Amino acid sequence: MAAPLILAALAVTPIVLAGRGGVDLSVGPLLGFINVTLVKWLVENDYASPIMVIAYVVAAGVLYQIVIAAIIIYVRVAPIIVTLSGYLFLSGINLVVLDRPSGVAPDWMLDWGSGISILSPVFYGLIIMIGFWIFFSRTVFYQQIVLTGANERMAFANGVNIAGARFGAHIVAGVFTAAAALAYTALIGSGDPTQGNTYTLSAITALVLGGTSLAGGTGGGLGSILGAINIYLITYVLSTYNFGTVSGFVTQLSTGAILVLSLLVNSLMNRRQ
Amino acid sequence: MDDLTGKVLVQNVSKRFGETTALNGCSLTISPGEVHAIVGENGSGKSTLAKMISGVVLPDSGRVSIFGRSPRDPMEARALGVAMIFQEVLVAETLSVVDNIFAGTDSLWKRSRTRAVARRQCRDLLKRFTETEIDPDTIVRNLPLSVQQWIVIARALLANPRVLILDESSAALDLDASARLHTEIKRLRESGCCIIIVTHRIAELVRIADRATVLRDGEVVDEFVGADINESRLLSAMSAKRIILEAKAAAASPANRVVGDVVLSATGLEIERGAPQFDFKLCAGEIVGVTGLDGQGHGDFLRIAAGLRAPSGGTVSVLGRDARDAFQVASGASGKSVAYVSGDRAREGIFPNLSIFENFSLPLYRSRFGEYGWIKRRPLKQAFDGEVRRLSIKVGHESNLITSLSGGNQQKVLIGRALAMEPKIIVLDDPARGVDIATKQELYAQLRKFADQGGAVLYLSSEIEEFFDFADRVLVFRNKSLFRTVPFELFSEHTLLAAMFGEPDETAFHPMREGFVRA
Repeated sequence: MAAPLILAALAVTPIVLAGRGGVDLSVGPLLGFINVTLVKWLVENDYASPIMVIAYVVAAGVLYQIVIAAIIIYVRVAPIIVTLSGYLFLSGINLVVLDRPSGVAPDWMLDWGSGISILSPVFYGLIIMIGFWIFFSRTVFYQQIVLTGANERMAFANGVNIAGARFGAHIVAGVFTAAAALAYTALIGSGDPTQGNTYTLSAITALVLGGTSLAGGTGGGLGSILGAINIYLITYVLSTYNFGTVSGFVTQLSTGAILVLSLLVNSLMNRRQ
Repeated sequence: MDDLTGKVLVQNVSKRFGETTALNGCSLTISPGEVHAIVGENGSGKSTLAKMISGVVLPDSGRVSIFGRSPRDPMEARALGVAMIFQEVLVAETLSVVDNIFAGTDSLWKRSRTRAVARRQCRDLLKRFTETEIDPDTIVRNLPLSVQQWIVIARALLANPRVLILDESSAALDLDASARLHTEIKRLRESGCCIIIVTHRIAELVRIADRATVLRDGEVVDEFVGADINESRLLSAMSAKRIILEAKAAAASPANRVVGDVVLSATGLEIERGAPQFDFKLCAGEIVGVTGLDGQGHGDFLRIAAGLRAPSGGTVSVLGRDARDAFQVASGASGKSVAYVSGDRAREGIFPNLSIFENFSLPLYRSRFGEYGWIKRRPLKQAFDGEVRRLSIKVGHESNLITSLSGGNQQKVLIGRALAMEPKIIVLDDPARGVDIATKQELYAQLRKFADQGGAVLYLSSEIEEFFDFADRVLVFRNKSLFRTVPFELFSEHTLLAAMFGEPDETAFHPMREGFVRA
């Protein structure tokens, strides 16, 4: 059940690691976009074979990130602005594609989300993606991303292609967002134009909670995964209490509070060193 | 004829950064197995030249040829075997020692060595260099600066460079460590590497250099070979007389000053942890120059004196108050005491998107021109007009953007702003940077007038001729501490440069002036 959140948190991680204020506020809506277009464009037109679907989601995620990366890196617009625009833009598009929650996921995916046992296909998918992350984090390329984020001038002086590292970070983010969207679609079994948006806040909270510095250069995937599980569990626990009519807000409130608290603890710890 | 493809050639290169010319038609040749030193004053272009050879900076005209090829970026230069150790200690502070040392050694698809090998190599290298055991997984931030410096050096040496450039690389190393660095340099020289050293430790390069090129104002003025390299020759080549305008003498002469009460005093001041402590006093009516070579602590001292930064040890008091509080008070309601003018206009001086008038008045709102949060418009306007007249600032309409003014006039607005605060002390950080000579003269005259009226001035400049006929004494900084105080009777290019380069004092030292070093 935590799969989409874990994957979304992993998606933002390389972008943040690469530094210079890199962040992706548009993960949530992008996830939603892939979800609704998958349901509306592919399934309704009978292009629902697994290969088609996977090819489409990855292409959509990566293409979007390429556009975003090009604007951030080569036009040099601040990442927060670009991705916020992306957030608003995609939120709108999602509602144009699908004006209310409807549609069905591809047939072969339908029974994935009916999580009777933990060992569902979504879980296996998650394991595969985490495996991919572990592979990715051992590559030279990943090291170059971290170097770029830790000290840009040093990376440049030592022959690291800074723009290339940042661009690559975005492409990896696209792949992970696609995986997150797939897991999300499988879990809800249909298309939902608005729920995806909430993943932006949770994914970034998870990432910060996992110890990745928003300034870049420190942190990693394991932290993001644990952070995401943490956020998921907190949400889950909170949903078992009865807060009456405000229950939805309590979740959001606590997510925000956790984010602020973890940042506070982080900076206090740094000062003590 | 020599085989030029086996050498590093710099042919007639020029480079401008905005208004300033860093290099103007420089040429030099470095042969394999040669240690080639590049020396010169601050801003003579030596670092730019070094960066050009390593591909970080590209020449505007002329050509750099490394074994017959011209690199266009650091990656190409690396591929040709160029390794550079930069002036700044370039480390990724949040990463481990191994990651720092092996940064950029792997190609995208193939690792040059396994992690275990990297760790072992890293441990061995650092043991050889620092003679202490250092865990390769330590986060670099937690290591002392000297070890960080070695990390950078180790990174460069690992690449088995054919051209090694050291830009002030021994700055963070103590004597013992420099000796070890020299051993490494000699070993590389034996193996036929071209070694370029940029340094201001003259004594050091006399021992190690085979050839020395002297730069002044971006031009090569002299070249010495082998035994011809000695300290006095290098110093005189660097300091050859320049045209000093006659007008300066008339503008301000420091002779026979009446010195008033102590307004600023520092005791046991320690600029950086572990740096030698020193005492200092500044009296009303005095103009004290502050200088030193890049990164020797004079800039830090100025910021500490102005209260912008806390010292790592010792106390600074301004009119009996702690300097940090005094600075706060300066922008507060009463008792204005210290005004700070930065030469780095773009970063610390102007508000580029505001008008001339706003730039002038913003820091003044909270002083005598404000009352209960309201701005007193009319007195402010009068003060502005007064300063414009006094400093003869060429302004168009006061509501034009500050950036519509020339650099010199922007600086005048900032100085007018400082004067309008009616401070007791003005601290100026290289205010004449990029300002024409006539404006400088006016500035000196205004500051002298300010001092005559009982103010005190701390004036930092890296151009020593600025102090002549202007400052009462000059504090020369070296190794993050006060190295020597030169009184105005002894001002000359030679005495000041000798102090900057750490030469022993051949003239009589004047201990009765304050500011002696505490050892």
